[in-house]
Amino acid sequence: MANERFTADADAADALAAVAALRRLADRLEDSAVESAMRAGWSWPQVAEALGVTRQAVHKKHAKRLIAAGVSLRRRDS
Amino acid sequence: MTETGRYLKGILERGRAEARQSGSSAVEAEHLLLAIAAHPGTSAHRVLAAARLDRDSLRVALDREFAASLRVAGVDLSDFDLPVATADPERAVDLGTSAKLVLERAVRTAGRGPGRIRPAHLLLGVLDAEVGTVPRALALAGTDREQLIERTRAALAAEDGR
Repeated sequence: MANERFTADADAADALAAVAALRRLADRLEDSAVESAMRAGWSWPQVAEALGVTRQAVHKKHAKRLIAAGVSLRRRDS
Repeated sequence: MTETGRYLKGILERGRAEARQSGSSAVEAEHLLLAIAAHPGTSAHRVLAAARLDRDSLRVALDREFAASLRVAGVDLSDFDLPVATADPERAVDLGTSAKLVLERAVRTAGRGPGRIRPAHLLLGVLDAEVGTVPRALALAGTDREQLIERTRAALAAEDGR
């Protein structure tokens, strides 16, 4: 029926939008959590392992802004 | 640089700034819409203003869409007390898929030839998306997207008739 079709479409749109929004939230959480961890003295390898990504990836993504923010970064291999 | 080139460059720059500010890793259609709304003196800007949509009210609508969509997954943004992350003013933000689609639609509507893409073509490219963040945010703001499309087309026709 047309009504059921409409509901199914609306549910699908909501569910897909939720996926997109969760991805955006995860990006924001990552920026925030990495900054907090580095301010608390975590090393790049620790942060990378906790996130399940390579240290190169996390360094490339976050080093510049953390240096700009004046966070004192521990050496990569410390 | 042509007037069109300058406008597009300005929109892309502002779109990148909007993307960085919202912590997005790419420029998406909503960032282009915010940029269009932040550039006065164009027919696209006038169409939005007539519908009482400016950069800030659109930002509010987008934030509402974000919160509403998260709630679908059982996530309440007010549960999060995120320490503010420092933005990277130089982080490379590329064009995301939705922004590329906007540009493709604008090029298609504008037709061939240099300098053919006008601000209203770009706005039409944003508004023509039937699903995604922008139409959901506009609906939450109580905006009639179809009517906006009609007014944008009328603005283009008026420009062509000059």
